[in-house]
Amino acid sequence: MKLFLASLALLSGCALPAFQSAERPLGPGEVRSAAEAQETLVVGETTKSDVRAALGPATTVDFASGYEVWVYRQPPVSPAPGAELVLLFDPGGVLAKMRVTPISDPA
Amino acid sequence: MGYVPIFLIFLLAFLPALATAQNDAVVVTALRNPVNKSYKKMVEGEQLFNERREALAPRATLRFKLIPRKPDVSMDGVRLEVSSDSVDIPLKVEPDGTFTLKHDAKALKENARVVPNRKAGTMTWRADVRTPGLPPNVRRLGDLRMECEVGMESGLISDYPPGLFGWLDELLPRGPTYCHRDLPRYLYFAERPLWSVTLVDGERRKVLPVDRLYAGATRDPDWKDRIRYCDCEAIVDRTYFVPLGDANWPDDTLVVLEYM
Repeated sequence: MKLFLASLALLSGCALPAFQSAERPLGPGEVRSAAEAQETLVVGETTKSDVRAALGPATTVDFASGYEVWVYRQPPVSPAPGAELVLLFDPGGVLAKMRVTPISDPA
Repeated sequence: MGYVPIFLIFLLAFLPALATAQNDAVVVTALRNPVNKSYKKMVEGEQLFNERREALAPRATLRFKLIPRKPDVSMDGVRLEVSSDSVDIPLKVEPDGTFTLKHDAKALKENARVVPNRKAGTMTWRADVRTPGLPPNVRRLGDLRMECEVGMESGLISDYPPGLFGWLDELLPRGPTYCHRDLPRYLYFAERPLWSVTLVDGERRKVLPVDRLYAGATRDPDWKDRIRYCDCEAIVDRTYFVPLGDANWPDDTLVVLEYM
C-alpha cells in the first residue's frame, strides 16, 4: 500500500510542489496527468481514502443511492487538450468504474 | 466559451418546487400550478412534432411522459385527465409513465389543463420521442432534438413562478429555438443512474464530459443548495445534456448510455 500511495503521490498536484514549479500550480481536484493517475488505480480494490491520500481532494458528487462520482481534471497545456479522470465509488467506498476523457470543449 | 454558472445550468429545468414549498395536494386553481400542464400548449407541441418529424425523426413516434421526481415514487395507479369547466377526459397512462393526448375542441376552447392525481413535486414531465429498433440504452440525437423542441413548445419545463426568474425570460427564448443552441441546458433523464454518455456517428465517437451529466453538478460546489430547484432533484444521477445545436453531430448520431 505504501508503494501504491507513493506512486500516486507522484501524480498528485498537491504532493510534489517542486515538480509543479515548471507549470502553473495545480488547484484542488487537478492532476498533471489523468491517464497516469488512472494507471495506478484498481477497480474493485482502490478506496476513496487511497485516492484522497494520493491525489488530494476531488470534485465530488454524492447521490442518494450511496454512489459517489469523483472528478480530477488535467488542465490543458497548449497545444494538448485537457482531460478528466472520472471515478465512480460504490456505497462501500470502493472504486467501481473509472475513465479518462479528453476535454477539447467546454461542457 | 466559458462555463456557465450553475443556475444557468438549471435554468430550463427550474423547478416546480419553487411554486409550492409544501407537497400540497393537486388543486387546479392557479394558472401556473406546477403539477399540471396546459392542454393547448401540449397540443401545440404535438403539432410541432408533426411539422418537424420529417426533418428530425422521420420514423419516430411521440408520447408524453411522467417521470417520478423521487426514487420512491411509484407510477402505479397514476391517473391523468384533461380537465376544464365542462370537460373531463381520462388519459391512459402506461406503466412506463407515457401517454398520448386525446383531441377535443371543447377542451381547447376552455383552456383545459392536463392534471395527474399526484401531489405537486412528485413528478415531472417530458416529451418522449422514440425511433423504433434501438436498444433501451441507445437514443437517437434527432429524437432528442425533437423532444427538446416539443418539450419547449409544450411548456413542459417552464412552469416556475413568473417574475422569479424574469431576467432569464429576457436572456433566453422560451420556445423551441432554445434547442438550437450548441449547449442548451435541456435535461434528459435516463432510465437508470448514468455512468457515461457517448455520441457515436459511424466511426466517430465522443464521450461527453462529466459536466454534461448529473445536471452539471460537477461544476458547482454548491449544487446541493440549488438542486431542490431542479425537477431532477432526486434523480440527478440519471440526468444528462447533449449538444443539440452542434451540427457536427447529425440527427442519426447514436447517444449511447452506460449505466452505473
